[in-house]
Amino acid sequence: MAKKTKVAEKNIPRETWRELDETLRLPAIVPPVTYPIETLVPEVRDQTPAVGQRATRPDGRLHGLGQTKYIDDLAFPGMLYARIKRAGIASARIKSVDTREAQAMPGVMAVVTGRDIPVNSFGPSLKDQPVLADDFVFHAGDGVAAVAAVTEQIANDALDRIKVEYEPLPAVFDPLEALKEDAPKVHAPNSNIYATKLIKKGDVEKGFAESDHIFEGSYRTQMVEHVPLEPHASIAVWDPNGRVSIYSTLGRITLGRADIARTLKLPINRIRVVATIVGGNFGGKNEITQEPVIALLSKKTGRPVKGVFTRTEEFIATTTRHPIIMDYKTGVMKDGRLIARKVRLVLDGGAYCSWSETTLGKACILAAGPYNIDNLHAEAFVVYTNKTMTGAMRGFGAPQVCFAYESHMDDIAAALNIDPLDIRLLNAFEEGSPSPTGQVLHSVVVKDTLLKAAERFGWKEPRS
Amino acid sequence: MWYPIGFTVAANPSAAVVKVNEDGTATLLTGTVETGQGSLTILGQIAAEELGIATDDVHVVSADTDSTPMDTGAIASRTTYVTGNAVRLAAGKAKAILFEVAAPMLRVKPDQLEAKDRKIQIKGYPQRYLPIGEVANHAQVVMGEPAIGAASYNPPTVALDPETGQGKPFSTYVYATQIAEVDVDDETGEVDIIRIVAAHDCGTAINPMLVEGQIEGGISMGIGFALQEEILFDAAGHQINPNLTNYIMPTSLDMPEIEVNIVKSYDPTGPFGAKGVGEPTAVPTAAAILNAIRNAVGVRITSLPATAEKILAAIKAKRAQEPKRIAAG
Repeated sequence: MAKKTKVAEKNIPRETWRELDETLRLPAIVPPVTYPIETLVPEVRDQTPAVGQRATRPDGRLHGLGQTKYIDDLAFPGMLYARIKRAGIASARIKSVDTREAQAMPGVMAVVTGRDIPVNSFGPSLKDQPVLADDFVFHAGDGVAAVAAVTEQIANDALDRIKVEYEPLPAVFDPLEALKEDAPKVHAPNSNIYATKLIKKGDVEKGFAESDHIFEGSYRTQMVEHVPLEPHASIAVWDPNGRVSIYSTLGRITLGRADIARTLKLPINRIRVVATIVGGNFGGKNEITQEPVIALLSKKTGRPVKGVFTRTEEFIATTTRHPIIMDYKTGVMKDGRLIARKVRLVLDGGAYCSWSETTLGKACILAAGPYNIDNLHAEAFVVYTNKTMTGAMRGFGAPQVCFAYESHMDDIAAALNIDPLDIRLLNAFEEGSPSPTGQVLHSVVVKDTLLKAAERFGWKEPRS
Repeated sequence: MWYPIGFTVAANPSAAVVKVNEDGTATLLTGTVETGQGSLTILGQIAAEELGIATDDVHVVSADTDSTPMDTGAIASRTTYVTGNAVRLAAGKAKAILFEVAAPMLRVKPDQLEAKDRKIQIKGYPQRYLPIGEVANHAQVVMGEPAIGAASYNPPTVALDPETGQGKPFSTYVYATQIAEVDVDDETGEVDIIRIVAAHDCGTAINPMLVEGQIEGGISMGIGFALQEEILFDAAGHQINPNLTNYIMPTSLDMPEIEVNIVKSYDPTGPFGAKGVGEPTAVPTAAAILNAIRNAVGVRITSLPATAEKILAAIKAKRAQEPKRIAAG
């Protein structure tokens, strides 16, 4: 191993760099690439006016050369690696957590549990989510303890040495089951229904009485995950003044900073949150996940700490999309005009509230579709279940309800023997139409998009 | 489909700071995070357009709570609309300082000036102008008034009535239509998507290339949502497929031919007429594909994902119901 190399030589070959890394035992450093460092400005970026240009992205060049620094590419001297132990049981009371064997392992520098978090609750609206579970476990991906160790492998091994004793509690998984009065209460003693919304316009029963036909449909969507290429990652570094810098993949750094201030009981100006270029968010990185834990581990050990989720943790311990059960009943005249619609939405809210209230609101408002319907009754409920928490994901409830109302529309069109394009053109919003909440809409181009898509697709042409 | 921009009723402000440097280039400070959608590029374009300079003249600094102003986040497709408006207002304030300084130099009043093509010129008489670098330098070095502008923006909303839900929850909405053509194998239930035509409204397209990128990306998420992705739980509440091997997602082999059309529209409340496009792109795809399946084989799948097993089972059920015909001899 004691190979003599002249470090001051220029153009050191790749193999020598790797040997140097191993000898010095630093985290792996990307070998310097010899690429030209002149700034070549693409012509488009140099033209005025700027709006409407197909300007290339400044980070595009970095991505193409593989030189973008994501959180996992950052390294600090003396940095430790953190891992979080996941509960593995959907609903339980924690009887005891024994971390002594893990703490005694060589290479493990600190272990924290839920008891060590100053304020162990956070959430964008309802503060019902613990940073690390301390009394109860609400879903199988709940974190129960965290370890900081010299290497990631040691941290992983230490997780197995942490002994947690659980007392299993009854759990509920199906949202329709959770709606019932006698279902096990996830966040006892509160009811499983934690938010509702109602939109009423006109008189829907009268509308049904006046319609020529009534159609009903029931639709169901599944739980999906964002699966960004880059998992959740963060690094916490304290300075001697008691100020913490957190480098993180958070998409909302202002809210993240406020949440970290609340959970760690620090004034906001003692926290600095820096987000680098993130490798995909889609809504899954909009709230803190492990940042307070990483910050606490870093404070306890006095060294920078990095935590990167594994792909499994991305699935079980981060937010997902709400599965929604949608029931539609629509009253239609024989020429295809929709005159009444009744919608009931049941959202599976997972173990914690997260962004469910926003999703509920949006899903309910959008549930009737971009159509002029005078009589509307839309009600929505979101329930707790003992599954992975559901939160923000590209669309906030809109893809689910769009699937429902558009499928329903095609079914109506087929039953009345009207072309699906024509029935939509007949009912769609126009400039100045009132929305389901009574708002007067402006810049409305639904019909333009329908006609443009139909024209480019060749809708009117005969099909095989 | 229709989709709103911004948060439901709740305040979701964004703030921005624009500093014009002494040579006419500028720096933009914004708290938003670049998550891969290109928001920093278009915010730079908006600042550049307001100051009359080119996109490359604006350097965007983002996502550091110590140096950038607050931002509610890259969420709800609000960056172009809300942060863009904040950027535009901030650039406008920096521009006002430049106009104050340039007006006596050009011997006119400040409200007669406009910023275009890297120049501060007189409206209606562009022959008399000053390069923006000269004005910025004069402002900072001679007059002692550096051209810095800071502003914030929050979309105006009206709270919803708790009984009837009536109110103005969002400031603006976007609309879109997608049409899908699919090929369904009625012996296996497998669906092959041949072509998707998308017509999206995003107000003014600040950067059409990035809008197209968003639409294509959103369609790929929609395809996964419609046909493949599902998190499965066992009876004890554990996830069965928390890995990429068993959680099926679209790959480049699953992508159809996509035709993207941006429908012309202008929203007076948005920056240069822009609205937003991040989420609406993933919304109509699943409905289009499922409707196309229905058109192809006559079965209505009402639960997602529409896997081959579900479609085949539905086709068989439909055939079982049809009266059996004996072929003519």
